[in-house]
Amino acid sequence: MHRKFWIGALALALLISLGWGWNEYRLAGKYRTATENNNRRALNDFASHLDQLETDMAKGNVASNPAQKILYLSQISSKSEAALKDFAQIPAQQTGLSYVGQFLTQSGDFTRILAQRIAGGGTISGEEEKTLRDMHERLMPVNQQVQDLILRMDTEKLVWTDPDPSLRQRLGLGTQVAEAAADGSEAPAKSVRSGLDQLDASLQKLPPFSYTGEYATRVVEKPLGLPTGEVTRDQSLERARDFLDKAGYANATPEFAGESQGPLGGYVWNFKESYLEVSRQGGVITLHRDQRSIEPRTLSLEEATSKAKAVLQALGWKLVITSSEEFGSYVQFDAVVEKDGVRIYPDKVRLMIALDNGQLVGFDASPYYAFHHERTFPTKLTMEQAVRKLRPNFQVVESRLAVIVKSGNQEVYSYEFRGRYQGEEYLVYLNASNGTEEKIQRIIKTPRGEYLK
Amino acid sequence: MKLHIRPWGMVITIGLLLSIALSGLAYAALGDRLLGRGSKGPEVTELQKKLVQLGYSVGSVDGKFGSKTEAAIRRFQKERGLRVDGLAGTQTIKELKRLTGQSTNASGKAVGYKNIDTNLLARAVNAEARGEPYIGQVAVAAVILNRIKDPAFPKTVADIIYQPRAFSSVDDGQINLAPSASSIRAAQEAINGSDPSGGAVFFFNPAKTSNKYIWSRPQIKQIGNHMFTK
Repeated sequence: MHRKFWIGALALALLISLGWGWNEYRLAGKYRTATENNNRRALNDFASHLDQLETDMAKGNVASNPAQKILYLSQISSKSEAALKDFAQIPAQQTGLSYVGQFLTQSGDFTRILAQRIAGGGTISGEEEKTLRDMHERLMPVNQQVQDLILRMDTEKLVWTDPDPSLRQRLGLGTQVAEAAADGSEAPAKSVRSGLDQLDASLQKLPPFSYTGEYATRVVEKPLGLPTGEVTRDQSLERARDFLDKAGYANATPEFAGESQGPLGGYVWNFKESYLEVSRQGGVITLHRDQRSIEPRTLSLEEATSKAKAVLQALGWKLVITSSEEFGSYVQFDAVVEKDGVRIYPDKVRLMIALDNGQLVGFDASPYYAFHHERTFPTKLTMEQAVRKLRPNFQVVESRLAVIVKSGNQEVYSYEFRGRYQGEEYLVYLNASNGTEEKIQRIIKTPRGEYLK
Repeated sequence: MKLHIRPWGMVITIGLLLSIALSGLAYAALGDRLLGRGSKGPEVTELQKKLVQLGYSVGSVDGKFGSKTEAAIRRFQKERGLRVDGLAGTQTIKELKRLTGQSTNASGKAVGYKNIDTNLLARAVNAEARGEPYIGQVAVAAVILNRIKDPAFPKTVADIIYQPRAFSSVDDGQINLAPSASSIRAAQEAINGSDPSGGAVFFFNPAKTSNKYIWSRPQIKQIGNHMFTK
């Protein structure tokens, strides 16, 4: 009697498990198909955009009519953006720079700059024509290999990424599979991902393009504003204690927490919950952040602003505060250099004042030390001449001279006009030498303060 | 002596009882009364929604002011520099409403929350760096933003975060957890330009990674459990 009951119960359990398993298997199959479809779409779109890109580059090379040239150059730029977007959706390995992506970005960037220049009435130099042709040359094999990959996907049923080692191999029983060579060996790729990796590797070996544009250079390699001379670890401790003393942390005893590398690198110090970085070159404080818990606020925004000015003076900075953002228990201020009435925005220092006791809980001078240098200003239009270049009906509220940063790391000496037009408030920057519009920013009021976009 | 209950007295008593009972049910707007442990109703739901929007998790949004809601109110008050008492009074509610309002242009027209990238960035920070010190969270957000400027990476925040297999916490779904308030703050700081990572475009946990490629990248600095590299 008991036996029958147990057999029945177990049989039922088995049936339920089988049913559940079957259902899961079907669902997993559906998800796999959906993902596969998406990956396929991305790869096909990528290949198709790449192909159109190659054709447009070929046509752009021979077009001589400026209008046609602008057309093709703009198309190249937008197709490369589209190709990049699709490329970002193909399954990647977890790490790795993408030289394919870099190549696409730079082609798009370069052609966009050329198109803008021609649209403004300029011409392309012989050097730049050569760069365009080089880009086309480099694109052709990339295009061919991607199309080849797709063909092999259909004929050889390539998988997306190299298969993870099977159970047998993990247990050490199977033969070791040679790692898919990502160093450009000629063995055909076993998966779409390693095929793209080989493409990547072959592009990596080629010299980079040189042109001036947004993506031509990465981060500032050499900081311009650091004082000369190197400091030792003990000297940096002295600087750290001096800084903390002036910021309101009396008798601080920082502990060494390691070193940081890079152009602004140096010595990292911890004090209670503070994090402090002193640069190796010049021995200046580049970063300070106190992560202590902050008590209920007792200061208003105005009081915090005057505390900020006071601490900047105590630390020896001559800066002007340009904006504030409040985070509830602390306020963040941006302060920049103002020289001869010209506001120099790239030379920026960011500081945070706690609203419970006015202490300096955050300090970031890395933009200042990266970009500050002696600047000479070219001859400029007068204020009246500049105002005349603004669009009609733009009501100016404030105006001044300023140095701003354009895309890439280019600095522009300009007139800054803050004003209203059609119910919106803007910051309009006109080039001080010739009055062309360089940059426009829109001012929005958010719950945390003004926001420029 | 027999208790003589006058008819008027009855009416007034019943009226009082009813009004007290119904006051909880009648639709009241957030801010009308002090809310604390035990409060119930649509205003509590609104309170909970606003807390969640700002990153203070309340468990489930159910209209009941329980211990989780009280804890969230306390965290909110602490981070905004208000007096911490666990009750949603005028000051607290005013601050909540202000912070969850839409941004406006110069003439006061609402233009939306303007926080699409911030939200996604906050989720990524929460997924990748939940237990890290605050400055480490800002650094993780900065790494994602640094990738936008780098030609070798995709060009939008969403493309970078959702690039298949680029971030392990995106692949395993942790990106879908609601971001904590400190992740939101870290994302906002990074978008403002703070970069404690020193220009890094990669980060990894040295104790958990043996990937040769990432170990070969030039290292910049270590914050908390993460090593940041170029």
